[in-house]
Amino acid sequence: MSVVDSPATRRPRDPGGPQQNRVPGHAAPRRRKRNSGLVPWLLALPALLFIAGLLGYPLIRMLVLSFQNMRLRELISGRTPPWVGFDQYTRVLSDGVFWGVVGRTVAFTVVSVLISVVCGLGIALLMRRVSHGVRLFMIIAMMFVWALPQLVAAQIFRWMTDSDFGVVNYLIDLLPGVNYQNHSWFVNPWQGWSVITTLVVWAGIPFLAITLNAGLTQVPKELLEAATVDGATPWQSLRNIILPILKPLLMIVTTLSVIWNFGLFTQAWVLRDGHPEPQFQTLATYSYTQAFGQARYSLGSAIAVITVLLMFGVMVFYIRQMFRIGEVD
Amino acid sequence: MAADITSPVAMRARKKRRDDNGSLTVGRSRAGTIVANTVGIVFGVLMLFPVYWVLNTAFKPADEVLALEPGFWPSNPTFDNFISAFKAPLFLQDMLNGVVITLFAVAGALVVGFLGALAIARFSFYGRKAIILVVLVVQLVPFLALLIPLFLMLQNVNLGFTTLNLTDSLIGVSITYLVLILPYTVWTLRGFISGIPRELDEAAMIDGCTRAQVFWRIILPLTGPGLVATSVYGFIQAWNEFIIINTLNSPDKQNLMAWLLQNQTTRGTAWGPLMAGAIITSIPVVIFFLIIQRNIATGLTAGAVKG
Amino acid sequence: MKRKIAAVAAIAATLLGAAACGSNSDDDAPTTSASGKVDGAGKTLKVWLMVDAQSAWKPVVDDASKRFTDATGAQVNVEYQQWANHLTKLDATLAGSDVPDVVELGNTEFPKYVFSGAFGAVNPGDYENSSSWLQGLKGACDFEGKTYCVPYYAGARVLIYRTDLFKAAGIAEAPKTYDEFLSDADKLQAASKSNAKFGAVYMPGQYWYAAMSWVKSTGGDIAKQEGDKWVGQLSQPSSIEGLQRWVDMAKKYSKADPTKNENDQANTFAQGTAAMFYGNAWEQGAAEEVKKDPNNPDSPMVPTKVKGKLAAAPMPEVPSFLGGSNLGITEKSQQKELAAQWIKAFTDSKSMAGLVKANALPNATSLLDQAATDNKTIAPAALAAKNSWFPPNAEKWADVEKSAVLQTMLTDILTGKKSVADGAKWADDQINSTLNES
Repeated sequence: MSVVDSPATRRPRDPGGPQQNRVPGHAAPRRRKRNSGLVPWLLALPALLFIAGLLGYPLIRMLVLSFQNMRLRELISGRTPPWVGFDQYTRVLSDGVFWGVVGRTVAFTVVSVLISVVCGLGIALLMRRVSHGVRLFMIIAMMFVWALPQLVAAQIFRWMTDSDFGVVNYLIDLLPGVNYQNHSWFVNPWQGWSVITTLVVWAGIPFLAITLNAGLTQVPKELLEAATVDGATPWQSLRNIILPILKPLLMIVTTLSVIWNFGLFTQAWVLRDGHPEPQFQTLATYSYTQAFGQARYSLGSAIAVITVLLMFGVMVFYIRQMFRIGEVD
Repeated sequence: MAADITSPVAMRARKKRRDDNGSLTVGRSRAGTIVANTVGIVFGVLMLFPVYWVLNTAFKPADEVLALEPGFWPSNPTFDNFISAFKAPLFLQDMLNGVVITLFAVAGALVVGFLGALAIARFSFYGRKAIILVVLVVQLVPFLALLIPLFLMLQNVNLGFTTLNLTDSLIGVSITYLVLILPYTVWTLRGFISGIPRELDEAAMIDGCTRAQVFWRIILPLTGPGLVATSVYGFIQAWNEFIIINTLNSPDKQNLMAWLLQNQTTRGTAWGPLMAGAIITSIPVVIFFLIIQRNIATGLTAGAVKG
Repeated sequence: MKRKIAAVAAIAATLLGAAACGSNSDDDAPTTSASGKVDGAGKTLKVWLMVDAQSAWKPVVDDASKRFTDATGAQVNVEYQQWANHLTKLDATLAGSDVPDVVELGNTEFPKYVFSGAFGAVNPGDYENSSSWLQGLKGACDFEGKTYCVPYYAGARVLIYRTDLFKAAGIAEAPKTYDEFLSDADKLQAASKSNAKFGAVYMPGQYWYAAMSWVKSTGGDIAKQEGDKWVGQLSQPSSIEGLQRWVDMAKKYSKADPTKNENDQANTFAQGTAAMFYGNAWEQGAAEEVKKDPNNPDSPMVPTKVKGKLAAAPMPEVPSFLGGSNLGITEKSQQKELAAQWIKAFTDSKSMAGLVKANALPNATSLLDQAATDNKTIAPAALAAKNSWFPPNAEKWADVEKSAVLQTMLTDILTGKKSVADGAKWADDQINSTLNES
């Protein structure tokens, strides 16, 4: 959770206070310019050591691996695998299956993030509108969902959509004229993916709604009042007042959702009982299956490297934005 | 407890109602409120349905769990599934492991992350950009791809004077989780620290505080809600991870998630105990949320939006 | 700083591949003997078994370990693995230096590891009943004239059916021919027409062990070796015939989920919505009664709806898949001799008798007849084991299993997403590229 971040920090520190622009080069006083010397490095050193040691080293190893051809034999014997240059990359990039997986992952990410954020925002707005007791109920409900571990949530959904014992089939079957007995949700990929998407959205809403609701409490009500007096419709208030103020926060939660949903693994893995069929493979499961299922560790590494690059491509906007923020204050 | 969860929000809401125009939507008609309440209740019920279904399943005896016509209420409620989970080999052990690992990882990430965040939020120095870039980019790496290099590395940690094998140990996996949540922690705390006006630091320095005292007496307390809000993410990540720990450690050094996996054997899934185990697994998170709930809301509003 | 330099040096060393432990596995590895006495005082043997041993025959494990400890003085540390991702864990562990000494794997998983040099050679003669080890298990251990693992237990699949429903439908005994099986299914289906959930046969769609047995029943095959290449055989006419036969049967008589595998079939069958299923011998017991507490090996049993109403018989005209597990001694083990001693104790006739009691099949044909007399439940399975098949003994076969090729194909042809011929063609292509990948 937690999006406690910062585009917002550019805005005035005390609400209602005078606009104090902190954009670089403008009025922002460069107070940081001190004889910092070694102090910041000493402060950052532990974090850097941890990241370099436990993330950096395996990352480099992964990169190296993607230019080799490591199979089970090399893994076990510890001998250096043969160097193959860009072979793994050409193999991945020329494989139609891989691009199918990429397309599927991207489509899923777009759809699920869109639904989650829109629902989250809707719920957050709704929370500002309902009575106190109802809001409490909504928050408690969301807290419980939030507290459920991902693995558990996925297993619940597997259990509820079970074709023989699932409550979902049972309930749908009660509708007149519908026969959903023994219906299998994973024959048709559209249906299967709607189960997965429902799960992801359901599990994602609490974070989004509670965060956005916290953000909404900061919208100055004077502004809204003034807008109403001027004859603005609720829709106009939303578009012209609430959303602009909420924008930085919305951007962060959306970005986080993109990162999380792009890396979808557990949900697809559990719902497909540990062996996702081709139509249920995402980049994360595909890379994992190639590396461990097929003992193509190098190929799996190449896929992971490509995944990072893809993510980087998608996120470059976000990173630039964040970077600028980090620069500023 | 329930009232507490929302208290900051709730208080604000109450205040607004007194002001007679607290709502963000215009024209607060009674009919509108009824519609909104209805939608809100339906939403809450829908959200809770899977949770209810877990509870319902967990309290059913085995023969009711596997019923072709699912019962919406256990006709013979029983604690058997919970007892089964608690008595199961390694359940308590793995629960304890999970708590230890998670607390270590979260606390460690907060300490290390706070220092790192201080550096990039309060200092201008050569290399700062690079650090920011690293912190942002490593968040995009799929951790599963690092499994084998990670394993090989932990098995042979070269400290210069001695080599350690950190696989099959709580410490190895704790450090891994720490690093897993560290970039996010640094980045988020950076936002909180930047939100604290520098004027405060300067005032304190004028009053004779050393820089260390400024960090300790001014910034740390003011970052408190931010630390809590950040820890939620770390807590959830560390508590929920199961693939890394299952690969690194043997069953007696795993956590509850990895333990839950074991209920899926070739001999069919034991749904009752699985769901009971799932509830027990969620309880620490709920407790954690309850302890810090006040700070979640304040943390979020303070750090995320105000600024 | 010193630490940093050390870390950099360590990285450089690894990147350059200065792997000190790189033994050359092309050397003729010595065969580990299990004969004679080994002194293991003060040592601990690390054994990885699958959960089945824990849930079904833990006393056998404990007894063998005790005898082993008495004989050698060494302790045993058994770690039970879950099927879910035991291979991932094994891969990572074998890459390191601290490895288990004995590892259990499914028989179809073994060739990949044997070909890759993960296991050391054993001397079959040292083990009891080795002259008649089941070929379906032993085949997975053979590589270039040597044996790299020891058969542990087997499972053969049989027809398990509801005697009460048979009687009600006017069927006197288990079918003797495949045609009889079909006509019985017709009768059973007709007798329970009023129950919308009822299907005469419970046949989950991704149950590839079953579907491939049907393929074998018409003389088909999955893949065969031609020269040094493997060639997928599923699109051959005889295989297509078998697949078609299986699809026709499953479509007509089964209400099972076409995307599920057989893991839950006993539980589902226990609900009484099917009259027959194709399962392991122990699944009859699993369908008739369940543990009150599934997490406790000593838990009392609770009867299900079908308790006392089940019987088993060989599936007529359909050869059984021979599943099971083998035990291997890891190549990197530092105490191979001890490991061999433990395996010897765990696979001797006494241990095998214990497994038979737990409804598993013993590892040798010479023990099958005895097993059939000792335990009536597994008698049909013991018979079926004699007419059994096992998947291609190819290095990369486990990869085919892991990539869910057969499972996907079966779901596709069962749900009509692909025709049987198209599905088989697709599966052959996948199998060819996987098995022949260098």
